[in-house]
Amino acid sequence: MNLEFISEGPALVIEGEQRLLIVADLHFGIEADLAAHGLHFRSRSAGRLERLMRVIDLADPDALVLLGDIKHSIPSLTRQEYYEMPGILDALRARVPLIVFPGNHDIGIERFVREEELRPRDGALVDGVAYLHGHMNPAPSLFGNLMVIGHHHPLISLRDEVGYAMQAPAYIRADIEPGEHGVPVPPGSPGKTRVLFMPAFNELAGYDIVKILKDPFSPLSRSMNADRAEIILADGTLIGPVSALNLDEDD
Amino acid sequence: MKTTERLDPRVLACIKKRGFTSLSDAQKQAIPLILDGKHIVLIAPTGTGKTESAMFPVFNGLLSLPGGGGFKALYITPLRSLNRDILSRMQWWCAELGLTVGVRHGDTPMGERRKQALSPPDLLITTPETFQALFMGKRLRQHLAHVKYVIVDEIHELAGSKRGAQLAVGLERLHVYAGEFQRIGLSATVGNPEDIAGYLCGARPCSIVQVPVAKQLELSVQYVGDDFRHQTEVLKKHLKCEGSTLIFVNTRVTAEALGHALFSHGDVEVHHGSLSREVRIDAEDRFKKGEIRTLICTSSMELGIDIGRVDHVIQFGSPREVARLVQRVGRAGHQLNTISRGTILATGFDDLLESLVIAKKARANEIERVTPPRHAADVLANQVAAIAVEYGEIERSKIREICERTSLYPDCGTLLDDVCRQMEDHRLIRIDGSRIITTARARRYLAGNLSMIHDERKVPIFDIVSRRTVGTLDESFVVGWVHTGVVFITKGQLWRVLEIADGRLTVEPAKKAIGELPSWEGEQIPVPFPVAQEAGMMRRTRDIAAYHPEPDGLSYAEGFLREMDRNRSLVPTDELITLENTEDGVVCNVCAGHKANEALGRVISILVSARYGTTVGLELDAYRMLLRLPFSIRAADIRDILLSLDPAHMPGILKLALKRTALFKWKLVQIAKKFGAIDPDADYERISIQRLLDFFDNTVVQQEAYRELLSEYMDIDTAAGIVSLVQSGKIRVELGPLSLIGAGGLLSSRDQIPPPTADSAVLATLKRRLSQDDVLLACMNCRDWKSRTVVSRVDDHPQCPKCGARLIAALKPYEEEQYALLKKPKKNAEERATEQRLMKNANIVLSSGKKAIIALSARGVGPENASRILATLTEDDAFYREILKAERTFVQTHRYWA
Repeated sequence: MNLEFISEGPALVIEGEQRLLIVADLHFGIEADLAAHGLHFRSRSAGRLERLMRVIDLADPDALVLLGDIKHSIPSLTRQEYYEMPGILDALRARVPLIVFPGNHDIGIERFVREEELRPRDGALVDGVAYLHGHMNPAPSLFGNLMVIGHHHPLISLRDEVGYAMQAPAYIRADIEPGEHGVPVPPGSPGKTRVLFMPAFNELAGYDIVKILKDPFSPLSRSMNADRAEIILADGTLIGPVSALNLDEDD
Repeated sequence: MKTTERLDPRVLACIKKRGFTSLSDAQKQAIPLILDGKHIVLIAPTGTGKTESAMFPVFNGLLSLPGGGGFKALYITPLRSLNRDILSRMQWWCAELGLTVGVRHGDTPMGERRKQALSPPDLLITTPETFQALFMGKRLRQHLAHVKYVIVDEIHELAGSKRGAQLAVGLERLHVYAGEFQRIGLSATVGNPEDIAGYLCGARPCSIVQVPVAKQLELSVQYVGDDFRHQTEVLKKHLKCEGSTLIFVNTRVTAEALGHALFSHGDVEVHHGSLSREVRIDAEDRFKKGEIRTLICTSSMELGIDIGRVDHVIQFGSPREVARLVQRVGRAGHQLNTISRGTILATGFDDLLESLVIAKKARANEIERVTPPRHAADVLANQVAAIAVEYGEIERSKIREICERTSLYPDCGTLLDDVCRQMEDHRLIRIDGSRIITTARARRYLAGNLSMIHDERKVPIFDIVSRRTVGTLDESFVVGWVHTGVVFITKGQLWRVLEIADGRLTVEPAKKAIGELPSWEGEQIPVPFPVAQEAGMMRRTRDIAAYHPEPDGLSYAEGFLREMDRNRSLVPTDELITLENTEDGVVCNVCAGHKANEALGRVISILVSARYGTTVGLELDAYRMLLRLPFSIRAADIRDILLSLDPAHMPGILKLALKRTALFKWKLVQIAKKFGAIDPDADYERISIQRLLDFFDNTVVQQEAYRELLSEYMDIDTAAGIVSLVQSGKIRVELGPLSLIGAGGLLSSRDQIPPPTADSAVLATLKRRLSQDDVLLACMNCRDWKSRTVVSRVDDHPQCPKCGARLIAALKPYEEEQYALLKKPKKNAEERATEQRLMKNANIVLSSGKKAIIALSARGVGPENASRILATLTEDDAFYREILKAERTFVQTHRYWA
């Protein structure tokens, strides 16, 4: 298995027997929700789709894995989604086969996705790697493999010597440790389970990593060993453990 | 014919009844012009009967018009408090003359408003914002059709701002209903009366009547030092021997501090914008009645509210601008033909020289210019929305005609198109071919955006350690800039942001930060370039006596300069820039005023940040800039940049520099609100708003943020002029250690200029991580010594304490077992390979020392990788970049993920 980081996404290529391109959290249709919260912008779906097509061209994969939250509105479809989604998915389909793991925002996605594209909400193995959106408990059969998930939109704050802080989307690699509040690790699972949290592809989504680690909001994030979790930037630059961010400046 | 004979006998009778025996100069000049129907700007100091000059002939005209029907005269002032004051003065006249008068502004109750809609008063006193609201109601619009006179009071206060630009368009919207009406502007002294006339009337001819102020001023400057106790003692002495006194201060904090200190003195009150209306009105009334003799106030008392007799005005600290001094001191002797007496109490070296310069300029009547903003796109957006709501549907060319009748939007076709398109993007209007159509949102938008003043929500700052609220920040500032990990300064303390949630900012005290952030509360009044220049000239000529300071001030200033000489410090002047090395970075002493220094400082900062890949912290005032820098960048480097800078490139560089700063993002959010992109009550917590701001790249919103910052916050032309003078040798540049002048002063503006890429932040994080990494040092010579430590504590060339050898392997902690295996007498093939690897490791450390240890502590970097990295012979950042590259390769492999 080999990985490629595509920072223009952020997106990831995992190459085993097949070459898979993985993107998480597209959130098409987010603009309608923003407007409801006082932020009024024209739909940026076209630009987002264009960016995704560029990433596909760059990666030239055998299949595109959509790791959930392809659309945004819950609990029901908005007019924007109803009009935009078929075109978006057709454009993707025309270029590359799709594998879809529905997320918590994907209520009603069945309407737009073909049956053969759809995978279970609690995940499935593809080419020896487990994929799921990450908002619910993973299927028991997935443990012992690398799990690639979305849902958390991790974003990192970095400081330089003068103190300027910048934010950037980032990946988190963490080990799963069975615990009271976390995921039910099935007894007799082989080996350890590693989770790779993908940053969101949607340009507006973002959630500070420090906050994710402090107040985990999903079964998998509650089960990870936060102290040893490692952060990787969208271009594959290793930042290291959260402690390397050294928020307490005592040095 | 005598002026008085041209007035209606009823008006004349009132003038007599009111006790006016003669007309003032201003009145004698202005009244005939107004009676002749001329547009006019009347420029005169406060207290010369400006209001009456305008109103006598207006009353005259109103008496000749048939009663009822609609508003016939609008009297617009910038402040509600001024409205109330004018109302109380007008009520008597109108009652005597049988005219009706009303006031309408934000505080006017619904009942009163309804009454005005049903039976409109002849004279309506209002604010620019409520004037805007008049266009929203159908009945009120009909009343506007009767307007014959518009009086804009304190017009100098409006003309230079976006509020004023909005009013200018508003007047042309009024013109659509009322046709040509007579325009009368009342202004304090300004440097460019003709621009004020153009602002008021557009291309229409406009008369200017100017009553000089200087001969009525008696100014002195007194040095009081920087000790607050001594300052208050001096103040007390003044208060003892003077009658009624206004003490003007520059900040609310100072007002409160002085109020507290003088409280025991009795009969003193504090008056500033943060106090409630009731408290302020009470203070004004008691001062007017003579119950208190002293009022400590901020700019809140600059405008012409009648507060009765003032014998003396004290300006605490430099007034910073000539116009401000004249306006403030003009409050004294608030009666015709009396002398206004004012004293500036100067508190330090800069302050003293600056005060002397400003006093001299005031006596010479050299007042600053007021520059009306041209082509302000957010004002245009606001007015397009207002016009769309007013008409429902309108041709774009009609809007253009309205705007182009003002002097502020000449040839605005393209701008208008851009603005409309942007507004459509934010769903504020619809565009149908050449027509602009209102939307349901537009009316809602207008209700929240009648004013161009940014009435900001304040975000409380909650300190998680002390569990209390320590202050507030402007919401646009928080939204545009602040995120987790950011360090900023407020209330003189450093705070690090932990969380932004539930409408508040959770912070903890930060121990140190090289770069500090501004807090935007109480923005300082900028010192203009000519004032700072002349203060610089005084430092050069040292002819301070020519400015007539009092003996204390003279001996202090001369002593200060002698002290500089004694320390062998060069004195920076208008012809000498000094660059001084300090612990925190480099101080650039440039006597160019705030706006030019803002521009110059930012240009230098972005060049430094680009060249050295580091963020630059910038703090500045009118005479100096502190560039906060890593220690390796020194004054000589800044001089190189200054000398190699092409002045023609500076505006472009500055735009680049601005884009990622706090100031720019703060502006962008404010302007986006005026375009309807962001509601006043928007919920920002759901998304990364800072990335949302990228959506404005290359839009008219971004263009307006640049326009406003480059014209109102900084002065790039002057900054470029200074750089030209440096390069032609007319201004010299010298280096030196920190001087008294360099160390002095309160740096009033702060920002950070980040480098073009995230590189420096990533490198800083990598360095921190590697230096904190655990490392196991193991002797490969005696093979009997190992020690676990962290990389930062390792010597440059570690040595085995047992055998003295320098053949030390730097291992990762989990490699400890492998070292243990070396003691086995008989090794298998795999163990021999391990032994070889450890030897190679130690050999690298032997030849490259600490640098090898750093490389070896990187992830996925073994002896092979390490020697490849070391073979590049790179140093410093380039060396660390090689490490990043190696780690990036490692992260792509199965080994990292399994």
